[in-house]
Amino acid sequence: MGSEMTILDDETLQMYVEESLDHLEDIESDLLAIEQAGAGADEELVNKVFRAAHSIKGGAGFLGLTAINQLAHKLENVLGLFRSKELVPNPDVINLLLQGFDRLRDLLQDVDAGRDADVSELVVALEGLTTANVPEERKPSVSERVQVVLDSHGPVFTVSRFELEQAVKGGKNLYVFEYDLIHDVQRRGRSPLTVLQELEDGGVILDAKVDLGVVGGLDSEALPRTIPFLVLYATIVGTDIASGVFDLPDERIHVLGEANFRDAPPEPLASEEEPATLVATPAATAAPGPEPRPATQEPPHPPKPGPASANQAAPVHSKDQGKPAETSIRVHVSLLENLMTLAGELVLSRNQLLQAVTSGAPGVDRIAQRIDLITSELQETIMLTRMQPVGKIFGKFPRVVRDLARKLGKEVELEVEGNEVELDKTIIEGLNDPLTHLVRNAVDHGLEPPSERLAAGKPAKGRVSLRAFHEAGHVNIEISDDGRGIDAEKIVAKAIEKGLLGAEQARAMSEKEKVGLIFLPGFSTAEEVTDVSGRGVGMDVVKTNLDKLGGVVDIDSRPGQGTTVRIKLPLTLAIIPSQIVAAGGQAFAIPQVNMDELLRIPASQVKERIEIVGDAEVVRLRDRLLPLVRLADVLRVSPKYRDPATGEEREDRRRSLADRRGRRLSLDDPGTDPDAAASQHEDRRGGPDRRSSSAVNIVVANAGAFQYGLVVDELLDAEEIVVKPLGRHLKGCGCYAGATIMGNGRVALILDVPGLARLAQLTSVEGSARAAEVKQRALRRAAGEEHLLLFRYAPTERFALPLDVVQRIERVKRDDIAVVGGRRVLQYKGGILPLLALDDVAQVGVPDEDAEPVVLVVRLPGRSAGLLATGPVDAYQGRIEVDRETLVQPGIGGSTGIEGETVLVVDVVDVARRSYPDWFQAYEAEETEAREGATLLLAEDSAFFRGQVAGFFREAGYTVLEAEDGQEAWEILCREGERIDAVVTDIEMPHMDGLALTRKIRADERFRDLPVVALTTLAEDEDIARGQEAGVTDYQVKLDREELLASLARILRTEEYA
Amino acid sequence: MAEQEKRTPDQVCTFWIGEALCGVDIRCVQEINRQVDATPVPLSPPHVLGVMNLRGRVVTVVDLAAKLGLGSTRFTDETRNVIVQSQGEPVGLLVDRIADVVDVDPHTVAPAPANLGGIRGSAFQGVLRTDDSLVGILDVDAVLGEEA
Repeated sequence: MGSEMTILDDETLQMYVEESLDHLEDIESDLLAIEQAGAGADEELVNKVFRAAHSIKGGAGFLGLTAINQLAHKLENVLGLFRSKELVPNPDVINLLLQGFDRLRDLLQDVDAGRDADVSELVVALEGLTTANVPEERKPSVSERVQVVLDSHGPVFTVSRFELEQAVKGGKNLYVFEYDLIHDVQRRGRSPLTVLQELEDGGVILDAKVDLGVVGGLDSEALPRTIPFLVLYATIVGTDIASGVFDLPDERIHVLGEANFRDAPPEPLASEEEPATLVATPAATAAPGPEPRPATQEPPHPPKPGPASANQAAPVHSKDQGKPAETSIRVHVSLLENLMTLAGELVLSRNQLLQAVTSGAPGVDRIAQRIDLITSELQETIMLTRMQPVGKIFGKFPRVVRDLARKLGKEVELEVEGNEVELDKTIIEGLNDPLTHLVRNAVDHGLEPPSERLAAGKPAKGRVSLRAFHEAGHVNIEISDDGRGIDAEKIVAKAIEKGLLGAEQARAMSEKEKVGLIFLPGFSTAEEVTDVSGRGVGMDVVKTNLDKLGGVVDIDSRPGQGTTVRIKLPLTLAIIPSQIVAAGGQAFAIPQVNMDELLRIPASQVKERIEIVGDAEVVRLRDRLLPLVRLADVLRVSPKYRDPATGEEREDRRRSLADRRGRRLSLDDPGTDPDAAASQHEDRRGGPDRRSSSAVNIVVANAGAFQYGLVVDELLDAEEIVVKPLGRHLKGCGCYAGATIMGNGRVALILDVPGLARLAQLTSVEGSARAAEVKQRALRRAAGEEHLLLFRYAPTERFALPLDVVQRIERVKRDDIAVVGGRRVLQYKGGILPLLALDDVAQVGVPDEDAEPVVLVVRLPGRSAGLLATGPVDAYQGRIEVDRETLVQPGIGGSTGIEGETVLVVDVVDVARRSYPDWFQAYEAEETEAREGATLLLAEDSAFFRGQVAGFFREAGYTVLEAEDGQEAWEILCREGERIDAVVTDIEMPHMDGLALTRKIRADERFRDLPVVALTTLAEDEDIARGQEAGVTDYQVKLDREELLASLARILRTEEYA
Repeated sequence: MAEQEKRTPDQVCTFWIGEALCGVDIRCVQEINRQVDATPVPLSPPHVLGVMNLRGRVVTVVDLAAKLGLGSTRFTDETRNVIVQSQGEPVGLLVDRIADVVDVDPHTVAPAPANLGGIRGSAFQGVLRTDDSLVGILDVDAVLGEEA
């Protein structure tokens, strides 16, 4: 680069670029507003856009940025037609203008590369637009070129006659001002740009240039005495006062008349002529100006082939991805002054402190207080310098939405609110991609086409709204649409299909959790762009990006009414409010953005508030159950608790969730050692019960779509912490978001709330207590162990029940049990729970008069019931052999030996059947006889259930082949296919689950018509639907012997007839 | 930096890890201090002792002996924390005792044997023979690994 730039410092160029980009900032929305208004466009707005193009053009001409100059020039011409009402803004014109300004922005962002870029295509298109829209008689004037000739300089500018005519409209005078860069500009502390800006205010700059001809060679030793800077200018300022107004001596103000215009050869190629004019002036020939380089020699592509080609494949927003993050920032001067003042105060206080320390004078604490105050203020002010309005990103959405809507043939209205809300610069930058994705999704997938909307009784024009607002120290951003909403069932079906969750897990989920599945990693991949009718494309990526920003994302959808995505963000990343907690004697910080509330359950309420569902501990919080995660367990440190009497820190020996063997399930004292079980009741009454002496501290943690309770040893202070990154060796831990330095100088780790949930194997999918149970069962399966609940009735006999059938354990008072119509019932959760008593149906002992009853709430086909029991209630996990012959009697399915004691296995369905035959009446009529010689294949991973179900079948006369999982069942089927008459399969199994097995069977020519009965511990509509989808013939509850047999008999009979 | 380290260093800072006399290129040593009290990081790899505050920066402290498979370091009065720059971040290396700073004559550096004092040879850039001993020059990046 030779020429002009050598005398203009980089700073000027930088300033020009920044200012131009500033001008371009709002242009998009302005143009869109103009488009909307059409003929009635606000003149002020048109003027604003026009001026923007104009000043960009002016500066570019001055700096020798020909491509920019040319493009801006043509844009200005079109906008000029808007101004003169010769052209009415319409979408096509606006499109072209938007493209033009886009290109202009690209060129400005990389000025050096943009210097020689080829813009001829746009220039020609814009010029065509201008020509097409000016009145016939003036058409030639657009391409007609005029040289502006000064007596003293010769030809100085070449402009189109059209422009000259436009410029002098309204009685303006045309001048050439001859500034001297050295004397008029530099020495007066001004810059060429400020001069141009001042002129802008009073008229129209047609062109500006530095006349190098008179400067002499660049290598000439002597400093030039003057550097003329010529400006072609139209203004209403009269010739008599111009000198005074523009502060230039008369002799350097050239008033132009027709005599100064000379015809120039017409522009052969838009991109070629103008750069040439700079060197075509006779004076310039003496200067070592740049070689005239016709643009046609330039490669036809933009100068950055790498990113450019990548951009073509990527979606619209990719334009911003290639853009380097801003390295400079604009800060209000008052803010800087504030900082200076604070720094000054800090220095002053430091001096005082030093003095006080060395002289031992009193008042150190006062100074410390002051320094504390100043530091906080300093910190706040520094943070303020990083704050930027979200309008910075919101501003681009009108365009994104408009373009996309145009492309998709949809009508969309975008509402934007909260542009002024400020966030940290880093967050603003990081928000760009996820927000773009969400907005595009809303338009693309959320909103229906107009016809569909009208059919649904909605206005044809869809609405997308973008809202930012402050709430409780965080910034919320909402993206909502009034489109079709998300079909939760489709999402679930897809998640199941992808193996992200099991059918049973899905059933336990709320609508919201189901919709939240779209955030699961691996839920969506790029090749399935329009697969799910809702959304989900890349949503996991959106979530990951937001996670990085410390944000929490949440989705709310109502079918047919629309979807709202809510993002909660911290104001800044560098300093965040957090809660300090302790676990294992160590302090950890939890970002407040991930925290909904703190819960301290007093010792006296622990029993009522914390329950065990399946294997998971849950806390009752208002009307919901939150799964609990013990921080110390997840981090595998030993929990500590503070002895309330001594204040001493001790190891808490309460059993953890992970430690489940022989765990007391009774809720009163999980802390008792198994060997102390016998003395449990004594403990509760008089002994020093540790549980009762310490409350439970819970942080209600928010991991986005779901919440969980994080149990910590202690809740310490709330603090603002400075986030520091962790080294690479610790990235793999998966549970830290960083570290911070505490007041005592020690490092504390910042917990990653979603990460902890993952480690604890709670994901949004399993965010319910029920799901945690399923998870635990799956774990147990892998080990091939059974999970039983042990309890007593009479103190002398011990009973077992599969834990799967137990919903809940309730400790009740004897008085709570009422007798209605000869049957025992329990007032329970506002309803009445029928109770089953073992001694009603079986020959077993009865409990002692004073024993406190426990009710095991069990699932039965179609209802719940309570089984009366007495404590202690234990969980047992291990391999067992069930003897199904020796001790069998009504209600008792068999016996087994556990911990050296004989335990009777309760067949709770049988107990219910015998106590309440009417519940099962519908089934009784069924014929349950097996077809002769029929062979069943039973796939069930739990040995316990397998034994029990196989027992039913064998009793009924079937031959049963047993398989431990779907894979094995499939192998047996392939081997013995011909003799198998029906398949009975569990749903949840390792290796291959029941649905997969069913699909495999259905897909195989040989077995297509083989009946498949699916088994589950509880049957619900959704499950049945999913089973049917996979091709299940019938769905049955595992322990419902009669119905299961009836179903098989029915199926096999149909088979026979068919 | 990375390329620089592969070159034979001009000077190495030497220290003892168990029975092995090791050295690291002096250019990647930021400082040596006695700060061995780190905050433990639950669930971190076993060789990570914890994190500490080095004048406002959070630095991972690695038990070099554990990382090299020599068991964990026993803390004594002579235990030191050598802060090195590795892949653009400071990492603390716990060593048993600091020995010396030694000038390196490139001619006395030999390729590392397969095993040196119980440490696998790939951890070393080379072996420096001095008047009275052999110093294994540790390749810091190789020892600390990527662990991204």
